[in-house]
Amino acid sequence: MSTKNRSSLFLKIAVLAAGLLAMIVVSFLGSEVGSGIFGLTPVSILKVEAPKYHPAPERPFPSLPITNTMITAWISIMVLFLLFFIGTRTMKLVPSGLQNLLELIVESAANFIEDPAGKKHGRWFFPICTTIFLFVVANAWVSLLPGFETIHVNGEPLLRSANTDLNIPAALAVVSFIFIEYWGFKARGVSYLTTFFHVGPLWSALRLIGAGKIKAGAGGLLNGFVALFAGLLEILSHLIRMVSFTFRLFGNMTAGMILVMIMIFLVPWVLPSLFYGMEAFFGFIQAMIFAGLTLGFACAAVMEEE
Amino acid sequence: MEVWTVVAKLIGAGLAIGLGAIGPGVGIGILGMGAMNALGRNPEARGPIMTNMILGIAFAEAVAIYALVIAILLIFVA
Repeated sequence: MSTKNRSSLFLKIAVLAAGLLAMIVVSFLGSEVGSGIFGLTPVSILKVEAPKYHPAPERPFPSLPITNTMITAWISIMVLFLLFFIGTRTMKLVPSGLQNLLELIVESAANFIEDPAGKKHGRWFFPICTTIFLFVVANAWVSLLPGFETIHVNGEPLLRSANTDLNIPAALAVVSFIFIEYWGFKARGVSYLTTFFHVGPLWSALRLIGAGKIKAGAGGLLNGFVALFAGLLEILSHLIRMVSFTFRLFGNMTAGMILVMIMIFLVPWVLPSLFYGMEAFFGFIQAMIFAGLTLGFACAAVMEEE
Repeated sequence: MEVWTVVAKLIGAGLAIGLGAIGPGVGIGILGMGAMNALGRNPEARGPIMTNMILGIAFAEAVAIYALVIAILLIFVA
């Protein structure tokens, strides 16, 4: 661009940046914490109530056993259902508009899943992994809309991100575990249990001892018991996956929520937007990690032992 | 003594997340170094390298999240 256009564009950007910076500084100095540090008086419009966090979700209607995270989960289910229903109402062979976007989502997920799993197993894994991904990402992104944690009913927030309730990630983790074991049995039948019970080395060691070769057999006996123990440890590792899936999703989403609440309390203007962006990104990443790890463990479960 | 309980809780929370984030931080850095090396050797394999790096980082980060959950528990629940 010509120098006159370039310098006027630079001036506009500089004015915008200076304005945003001024808003950040003013809101920090006017809030409760900043004014306390510098000895100024806080401004009432910048007063945000101190962040209050309980790990357990609250019940906005004391008579009904419904928590605010359940309401959010229902909202994200509704959003997903309406999105896919409206997008596929008039289906065309050459898609456009919303149907195009939905086909992009479904096709990217199918490619991502068939890459490590192969076509046949990919067909088994696709529904569960994609649904887990879509549910977690819908929960994460719906909770960035205005109204979450701010609308109060009976003194409790009406809406709260569904991923910050320990029960919902736990339910997804249990579903993951059940399906991984189911796919393992479906692909390999009863011999899937040989991942947990390594009787091969111990059996050959006992045969050696039975045949009279004591020294070779004794060394193999130790190996046999170690292999048996490793197999039992595999059972523990499979069960611990439920705990790690739950806490990975719960911890990331809770930490994000607390971070945004504290940022809004400290610097009410402009700065929380950056953290909202970070929340959106992290929600997507955690959804992809949950679905991707389910896929990875499922691929390991259906793999034939050489 | 009521005040010493609160002091112990806060010090515990600080230590939990502070010490608990050292290991995963180093681990994620090592993963990143491996990914950078692999990417430098073979820039065409960007897709699989990035996917596996993100997967590995998720495992390492989960341990830091366990420490964070303990810290949150200590401050807000205990």
